[in-house]
Amino acid sequence: MFRPVVPRAAPRSLLGPATAAQSTFRASNIYFQDRLRRGYASEAEEKDLVIIGGGVAGYVAAIKAGQSGLKVACIEKRGSLGGTCLNVGCIPSKSLLNNSHLYHQILHDTKNRGIEVGDVKLNLQTMMKAKETSVSGLTKGIEFLFKKNNVEYIKGTGAFQDENTVAVNLIDGGETSVRGKNIFIATGSEATPFPGLTIDEKKVITSTGAIALQQVPKKMVVIGGGIIGLEMGSVWSRLGAEVTVVEFLGQIGGPGMDAEIAKMTQKMLAKQGMKFKLNTKVTKGDDSGESVKINTEAAKGGKEEILDADVVLVAIGRRPYTAGLGLDNIGLETDEKGRLVIDQEYRTKIPHIRVIGDVTFGPMLAHKAEEEGVAAVEYLTKGYGHVNYGAIPSVMYTHPEVAWVGQNEQELKAAGVKYRVGSFPFSANSRAKTNLDTEGIVKFISDANTDRILGVHIVGPNAGEMIAEGTLALEYGASSEDVARTSHAHPTLSEAFKEAAMATYDKAIHY
Amino acid sequence: MNATKQLLQHRQPMIRFLGKRTTPSKLDHTPKVHPASPSQSLPESFATYRQKAQQHGPLNQSNQYSTGGWIGSKPGASLGPIEAGKGEFFDRAELPKRFQRLAWTQDEIEAVESGGASLRA
Repeated sequence: MFRPVVPRAAPRSLLGPATAAQSTFRASNIYFQDRLRRGYASEAEEKDLVIIGGGVAGYVAAIKAGQSGLKVACIEKRGSLGGTCLNVGCIPSKSLLNNSHLYHQILHDTKNRGIEVGDVKLNLQTMMKAKETSVSGLTKGIEFLFKKNNVEYIKGTGAFQDENTVAVNLIDGGETSVRGKNIFIATGSEATPFPGLTIDEKKVITSTGAIALQQVPKKMVVIGGGIIGLEMGSVWSRLGAEVTVVEFLGQIGGPGMDAEIAKMTQKMLAKQGMKFKLNTKVTKGDDSGESVKINTEAAKGGKEEILDADVVLVAIGRRPYTAGLGLDNIGLETDEKGRLVIDQEYRTKIPHIRVIGDVTFGPMLAHKAEEEGVAAVEYLTKGYGHVNYGAIPSVMYTHPEVAWVGQNEQELKAAGVKYRVGSFPFSANSRAKTNLDTEGIVKFISDANTDRILGVHIVGPNAGEMIAEGTLALEYGASSEDVARTSHAHPTLSEAFKEAAMATYDKAIHY
Repeated sequence: MNATKQLLQHRQPMIRFLGKRTTPSKLDHTPKVHPASPSQSLPESFATYRQKAQQHGPLNQSNQYSTGGWIGSKPGASLGPIEAGKGEFFDRAELPKRFQRLAWTQDEIEAVESGGASLRA
């Protein structure tokens, strides 16, 4: 209502089309600003919701918004949807983990099963192709869902022009802009680089390079013994690399993993051939030669050791990604870790701009981002959304898998909570026995007074699937006895879950 | 039936069916710290921005639900008039930037002075 009016009948805007403007004397972004400022007739309609980022948080929010009848546009610069998870993260790594495990099993674990195999050869190119087939199938699937739910997919890099306008540099050339009543930032995260090492994704790699190596390295050093480092280290170890994991902390798996489970897992992975250097810090690296040299010493100071590797995987964590987003144009700040600050409804200080996924608080996990995508849209449409940050599972897809949800023993000790622990080994589970896959345990932690489940920690076959039951129990506020009195099919691995619950409030039957 | 009854005498099940999920009838949309935030408070900029953005119009209602959330899900017209109350005045410059007057750029002035905008099309 306050805008200067340009008659609709005017044949062209005063300043001409974008291409003409660019060929004259003005930078394209200034042309853009003018065009948007004046609100000419050619301006695009205002969307109910514009989402910057087509990763898991962004695409899920876009689909949910489309289903709720909102006019929604999703901007993605990668050229394919699904973000880090689908393109260079969870999905391709799982393809490699699964196929490298099969290869490793065929090599080392067939004879005692009565299967004799001949010459086993690795065809890395085909293994990579299988990975790409899985990825492209899934990303195209999301494009289909966008069409089905009337989501406008804009391929380009989005940057805030003002609080309601996002300018987009299109991948195919040219620029456009889109206005939104509401805007979600879902730009995700990127691997944190290691100071002193230049990431070239060939010799010094992040998880992105680790899923695309052209040949199996002889020696690989993994800096960081968290989930990403151990998963990718596993893949290349199974395929023949000599893998050494250097971890600053005294345990693998990161701070969320239960210390007892972490110790067991380390032993199992060491048995498979991986080497570990815990409580060790990397002081510097030299990637100037053919191989990479990594200087290490004890975390508390000590003798220096130089590790030599063909490939170094930097897996020291991830950091929020907001580069080029134009946050300065709208005055949004980030915290000391680069995260955008939000309130309980995902709103920034500008209430119609919300933030979801890796770029804000909470664990950087795809399923957490997915929950947030749905909840943030529900806050828009219903004024009410739900994510329980106390019941978000974590899974490490090594073999055996490691999975946990809720609190671990060290956290509860630190908080001074009185708890009970019950565990059950897979070696006493019938199905694990028949599968000849008996390494690992299920461990329950429940409140000493109420028996309410506080955490479930599993290392063992199929832990990633099994943790769903623990998450559900935690979400519903179940006691260990509730789980123990629920019938579980026989013979299944999930009986180990039930028996661990039994061991927590009373005693297990089979152990 | 009897077995269940007997069982329940000894045990208080924590999982109970609470009925279909419903949206709470009263919701407080006042900005609070995100549950996964390591900080105990929101930055000052949250309150400052809201105060500035909500000095006029329907957003400036005094009830606790006026600070966001449901506002986004309603059509603007349903929120009531944005005119200032009787005896109350405000300047356009106080509104958010997108509603303020736009200054002519040198380029636009040149376009007009050159004899007509269409020449630059």
